[in-house]
Amino acid sequence: MNDQILIEKAKEGLKEKILNIANPAPRRIFLKVAVDNLLETISWLKNEQGFTHLSTISGVDLGPSFEILYHFANNFCSFTIRTEIPRDNPSLPSICQLIPGAILYERELQDMLGLNVQNIPDPRPLLLPDDWPAGNYPLRKDWKFERPAEVIPGGKK
Amino acid sequence: MNFQIPIGPQHPALKEPIGLRITVDGEIIREADLRLGYNHRGIEKLAESKTWIQNIYLMERICGICSHSHTTCYVQGVEKLMEIQAPKRGLYIRTLVAELERIHSHLLWLGVAGHEAGFDSFFMYVWRDREIVMDILEIISGNRVHYAINTIGGVRRDLDELQVKNILDSLSVLRKRSEYYLNLGTTEPSFVARLAGVGYLSKEDALALCAVGPTLRASGVPMDVRKDDPYAVYDEVPFEVCTADTGDVLGRTVVRIKELFQSYNIIEYLLKNLPTGPIAVRAPRRPKSNEVVSRYEAPRGENIHYIKSNGTEKPERLKVRAPTLGNYAATIKMLKNGFIADVPLIFAAIDPCICCAERAVAIVDARTGQEKIVSTSSLKQLKQNVSPNKERKREVVWPL
Repeated sequence: MNDQILIEKAKEGLKEKILNIANPAPRRIFLKVAVDNLLETISWLKNEQGFTHLSTISGVDLGPSFEILYHFANNFCSFTIRTEIPRDNPSLPSICQLIPGAILYERELQDMLGLNVQNIPDPRPLLLPDDWPAGNYPLRKDWKFERPAEVIPGGKK
Repeated sequence: MNFQIPIGPQHPALKEPIGLRITVDGEIIREADLRLGYNHRGIEKLAESKTWIQNIYLMERICGICSHSHTTCYVQGVEKLMEIQAPKRGLYIRTLVAELERIHSHLLWLGVAGHEAGFDSFFMYVWRDREIVMDILEIISGNRVHYAINTIGGVRRDLDELQVKNILDSLSVLRKRSEYYLNLGTTEPSFVARLAGVGYLSKEDALALCAVGPTLRASGVPMDVRKDDPYAVYDEVPFEVCTADTGDVLGRTVVRIKELFQSYNIIEYLLKNLPTGPIAVRAPRRPKSNEVVSRYEAPRGENIHYIKSNGTEKPERLKVRAPTLGNYAATIKMLKNGFIADVPLIFAAIDPCICCAERAVAIVDARTGQEKIVSTSSLKQLKQNVSPNKERKREVVWPL
């Protein structure tokens, strides 16, 4: 019921910016936009629809591209905005000006998937150690962890 | 003059490892910074290499206190992906364990709050009573910490009449004791004086910084996933969302004690209306290619899992956001302009459940206030410089 009203409002307010909108389950809406329209869409969602709570940002490695999902929530619905960015130029704008609480999630994206978040207020690494080798992004599908062979002191060479 | 003080990752005032760096002007905190990662275990990457069933046990081990939160959030997402519906009795038992877990977590927190406020007899009283709820959990599942009660399609253990009676008896003891704590926690003058006004977070800031759970509700925002986005059987159980409008540590205490009473009511309702029937249905081995957003109200706040399947036996992506991460940005705000002595109290007030912190060593020159961050590899270098000619038995090699 509520979902339908929200979808209608999205179609009215965002028009041709919507690439795809889906409502797979009650209280779940997935909206796909181009990365250039991301900030506008989020500001529409926040200012006109009152979605102030960002639950988290998920990044998915799809192979030739990365998919970024912004999970918003209010008292009635969980609203996910998704966007895709190409693997050879993985950059997207920071949403911290609109949602200050997004900072930790954006830093996590930079660390784990190697995305380039532009205009991020605090670009330091968050989760990985300071001496982590550059260019290693653990959540990319092509990153494999190989456990080094165990060396027993005094054992056979 | 400003000084920087590193607190943690290992520090007597913190119960779990986290790296905090605060800049102080006299006794007052001007700036606070957080460094996570000390305890990072790479669970999201690991989950991609395990099957759907194996991942239940992996999710259980994300946290020792809210172990049921993560498995429930995960299995209810996977149930949607597999297009199966857990039977009613299974959902009732799942909700029952969830509420028992909330009680034990809130009692644990209440004790820690008493301890951090210097009220150690309160801490010991509360933790003694927490044993009652731990015993109930042991009766139901056989375990005190990792209940392992969830499975895809329902739960693994049933309840019998005697267990129901035992739980209800123990619950009446707990309820009586909690009334005493509510009275004590809100009227004992020195305890209230220690908590009131500490770690203030306004409603606007709580919303802007995306705080969750009791931290958000203590700032007067009635957001609770159980009410907003009912999962399991919360749409048929009567309960209220507890809020406070003071926005300080006292408010967070009051919200948690009030939630205890709501949990007692929920458990009584669940046990008195427990339906008969099977507790689980058979689940397929692999779901279709799909995605799902699963939300759950853990004792610390909203827990969200984003699960994507690709038609195989293993998930394509499993994103976990535990409630504590959602509260960190707000904690930084609370610490600013507070006193150094309030750091453990404010930090404890979000009920941190730390899976992540720092891996660096900070060296602060007290005279100039200049700070140098030294990584583990340069520390090793430093060690070699100190005794360059000594023979070493073996070299420690960085795995990458």
